[in-house]
Amino acid sequence: MKQEDVRILVVDDVNSMRVQIKDMLRKAGFKNVHSVSTTQEAKRQLEIEKFDLVMSDWRIEPTDGLDLLKYIRIHPEQNKLTFIMVTAEDAKDLVIQAIKAGVDDYVVKPVSPVQIQAKVIEVLTKKGLI
Amino acid sequence: MNMAGSIEEFVDELGGFAETAERTLSAIEKDQDGAKGMFSVFSDRMFAIKGTARQLGLPHVARIAELAEEIAVKGTHAGTRAVVRKCTGCLWDALTTIKVLLVNRDKETTEEQEILVNRMKKTLDALGGGRERVSTDDIAALLKNR
Repeated sequence: MKQEDVRILVVDDVNSMRVQIKDMLRKAGFKNVHSVSTTQEAKRQLEIEKFDLVMSDWRIEPTDGLDLLKYIRIHPEQNKLTFIMVTAEDAKDLVIQAIKAGVDDYVVKPVSPVQIQAKVIEVLTKKGLI
Repeated sequence: MNMAGSIEEFVDELGGFAETAERTLSAIEKDQDGAKGMFSVFSDRMFAIKGTARQLGLPHVARIAELAEEIAVKGTHAGTRAVVRKCTGCLWDALTTIKVLLVNRDKETTEEQEILVNRMKKTLDALGGGRERVSTDDIAALLKNR
């Protein structure tokens, strides 16, 4: 798959963060980026559209990024979906919870355009998607 | 959108965050036993401010928000009214300072901010300290060894 064809869903409740992450991804060559502000919208979006990667914040409404990750991992059709947590949450016990739940990568904010690009390419390459 | 635009937008969003945080603290002060669970609402708002402030290159704002987040987490588990009062007092100061800092974001760190940060650190230490944090390298090691 070409980088520009990778479908990415960004989930963050802070609008300025969503805009920044989308900008970084687009500048890195990922043109197919969609964003939502709640886990509810994310779940709805996942039911109507196929994505290759979800990049989610941890603390969002009405549940949280960990709940979204768990929802995806038990979903009959989406359980292999690549998931990167992009969050300011760096408490050790919570990072371990995300790893146990099957997160593909975990990025602590602040995140630079170079770091975003490297992480996304690394994870997608590892999964054989690009 | 450029960084200045992102910061402007964030400051606008913060208006809503601050309003929620203020309402929460007022509710806790009125009902110190029954409403202490609401510290988690405050903690969530501080977490959002911390993450976005870090991302937008406002580390002094992020530092105060992180300490406020940790103190609010402690408040959730407060065993006495004295601890609840200690937490709310500190959090009012933190919220007020964050609001001032965002409006005057071009100004340098002031002595008042340092005094507040030290006071918050002391409060947090007195309550048992913050949660254990991990670095990017620690996370990479945890992911590798899963």
